[in-house]
Amino acid sequence: MMNLQQVMPPKSTANGFGRRRGEREGGTRLESKSQSGKSNSGRVTTTGSVIGSKSGSCAVSSHDKLLYLASCLIGLSVEVQVKGGSVYAGIFHATSDEKDFGVILKMARLIKDGNFRGQKTVAEFVSKPPSKNFIIPSSELVQVIAKDVAVTRDGFANELQSDKQRELMIDSLISQTRHVEERELEPWIPDEDVPQLPELENIFDDPWNSKKWDQFETNETLFGVKTTFNEELYTTKLLRGPQTEELEKEAARIAREIAGEDTQDLHLAEERGSSIHENLGIDEETRFSSVYRGTGFDDSGYEEDEDIVLNTHNNETFGDSSGSVDQISTDFAIAKSSDGGQLSSSSFIVDEAQTSQSDGTGADLYCSEIPSRNFSTLDSESRVQENLLGECGGNNDAKDFVEKQPLPEDAQLPKSGDSQSSPNREKAGTIKVGRSANATPYSTSHVLSKGNEKTSSHGEPVDVAASCKAPGEPQSVNSRGRPGSSASSNSDRAAATSASSGPGLSPSSSMGSLSSEKSTLNPYAKEFKLNPNAKSFTPSQASARPLSPVADNAFYHPPNVSAVPHMHGLPVGFGMGPSLAAQQPVIYPQIAPMQSPQTYYHPHGPQYGQQMLVGQSRPVFYLPNYQPEMPYKGRDY
Amino acid sequence: MEGQVGGSGEEFAVGCLLSIKTTLGDEFDGQVMAFDRFTNMLVIQEGLKSGPRRNIRLLNANYIKDFSFLGQADDPLDPKKCFLDLSRLQAREHLAVRQAEADAQRIGVGVTTEAQNIFDALSKTLPVRWDKTVIVVMNEVRVSSPYLPESVSGGTAAANERVKKVLEFERKRLQARGSSQG
Repeated sequence: MMNLQQVMPPKSTANGFGRRRGEREGGTRLESKSQSGKSNSGRVTTTGSVIGSKSGSCAVSSHDKLLYLASCLIGLSVEVQVKGGSVYAGIFHATSDEKDFGVILKMARLIKDGNFRGQKTVAEFVSKPPSKNFIIPSSELVQVIAKDVAVTRDGFANELQSDKQRELMIDSLISQTRHVEERELEPWIPDEDVPQLPELENIFDDPWNSKKWDQFETNETLFGVKTTFNEELYTTKLLRGPQTEELEKEAARIAREIAGEDTQDLHLAEERGSSIHENLGIDEETRFSSVYRGTGFDDSGYEEDEDIVLNTHNNETFGDSSGSVDQISTDFAIAKSSDGGQLSSSSFIVDEAQTSQSDGTGADLYCSEIPSRNFSTLDSESRVQENLLGECGGNNDAKDFVEKQPLPEDAQLPKSGDSQSSPNREKAGTIKVGRSANATPYSTSHVLSKGNEKTSSHGEPVDVAASCKAPGEPQSVNSRGRPGSSASSNSDRAAATSASSGPGLSPSSSMGSLSSEKSTLNPYAKEFKLNPNAKSFTPSQASARPLSPVADNAFYHPPNVSAVPHMHGLPVGFGMGPSLAAQQPVIYPQIAPMQSPQTYYHPHGPQYGQQMLVGQSRPVFYLPNYQPEMPYKGRDY
Repeated sequence: MEGQVGGSGEEFAVGCLLSIKTTLGDEFDGQVMAFDRFTNMLVIQEGLKSGPRRNIRLLNANYIKDFSFLGQADDPLDPKKCFLDLSRLQAREHLAVRQAEADAQRIGVGVTTEAQNIFDALSKTLPVRWDKTVIVVMNEVRVSSPYLPESVSGGTAAANERVKKVLEFERKRLQARGSSQG
């Protein structure tokens, strides 16, 4: 007798089913009725729109009431029993018109089969998928059972509330929702009967705890499990050499600097110990753990802050590109200016500029601004440079870059600096050496082209940035626009190469797209084409300090020296024998961008190599050590 | 108002407390909320109390086998508090339909309970869907009747293994549970 299917049984039509054919009609009808019901809300009058409304003794016709109650069921899951005893469950969608009471369900399924009375529900075996629209004509309808129906305002409110409660309050929901039902937070109080074990509470607080707890040891003792953990597999190996202490100090300094930076972010400030909003009445929840809400909390404007924070982070990590660029240009300029009558360098620069110009805006970098700045900026610059390097992403050359930083400084002290710098350079140089393989072309050229130390240094930063783009790729150098053969590592090339490398990098890729300063940096970032060789940076000579600066020197100096007379003048003595060697690292800023920016660049990170360099009073010298230790194997992106 | 129930509409006056037996064997108590003579539909709220949420029955009076009058009380429905928010209702319906559709995806059609149980167990940890009577895991591994580890096919070796393992485990668990439940 189950002719209750989606297909309307013929007799339904006879019944005027047509009227309720299709949910739509029924729905519409119901809708219109509902609407009339709605308009009647609160009014106890018989609605005239309801056809066939009977005159009832009560103010509201009984039909209206029925309609109203049926409407209250819309969307609820109901069970409908039909004549044969079968029961269907589905979502109440609509009821028929006034004459007969039929029902339309959505997603209906049979849950009790009247044919097998007394048997357990048919849920045991599902024979067909739920019916999208299920019509039950009045002739079949016995009863509709609905639970937990809200029929009055109280009920509606109640329903709304429980609906909300059922929603999972995930962070994004909280952020986006305008109104979130807030819970009253109560402080947590531990149970009384929980045993207090004070000795357990501080066991790990003291990092210098004399009885250090070694998890591996413990594990082995307790379970006989031998660990195969090797920290160096996951991070840069720290090379502890003679400069460890200096590097550590420098690293700490940089870390302090960063940690002491101002931030708008509430949580970041908290972490850093600065109490920026101490006086504002920010409750604990906001201070430590709340989800950002778009409704103007104390850390309102978080969104902007978020961006700021992010940018800050990025800047902290990678340096403000604009800043860097400025620095670079500045340094460059300074170098230039300080060189005074070193026209050649200037011209050299100009040359490069021109060259780079051909490529793009790269030239701007070099030629722009010649403000007089003091080298005190070096420090920040170096950091910036570091950032740059980081940005460049793991190009060894970056190291060179870093090394270079100090150069300008050295440059300032023509003579003394020279001698002093030389040895420093030496150290710095080591880094470079490591890279020589790839970077060389860059650095050399770079150096050479610069002509003077300062210049080079400037150039280096720039170049480095550039080089970041094209880590150790000769091509990049070429792209610089310099006709010189970048590939060759010999110094002769350097001049040409450097020139090319310098501007080349920047202009090549994104230069065009970016504005002056920024562009210099960004292009690098974009241009960074992963050089498979670069990655596998197992500095050939890296083994120890890349003391093979000589090799690098070869790149840089000779040509440099010749090419740029002032170079000699440069305290650093670029290209001048040993000093040159020292210089080398400096010269190479552009050389291989760090292969893995992250690893490479994190002055405050475990990248001791970098720090080490710094320790040498070179702001950004991590290169030398860094190179060798870089466990590049992991870094094969 | 035809049918067994005699006469006057009083019996079905709003507010009446009744105990009703239907021709199909249902028995329940409730209070009359409304009675529509034209359609012969009786709306009863179960229980004798009115709260914000109530259990409601819409009963076709034709199927009332027997009833007894328990008392008379006020109209359980206060018209002053009644109003319909159509949009909310429609939204509720849409949501319910969406959920039901999602649920329907999880029910296998024409599969045994056992198969459905296995499906449900697998779905706790793996993304599964039905493809007729085949359980498709992670869109690559297929488990067909009789849903034994041997019936697992497809996918990468790793995925296949994983599904087999999970299947075995779940089967064991179901067995254990089934037997413990007698």
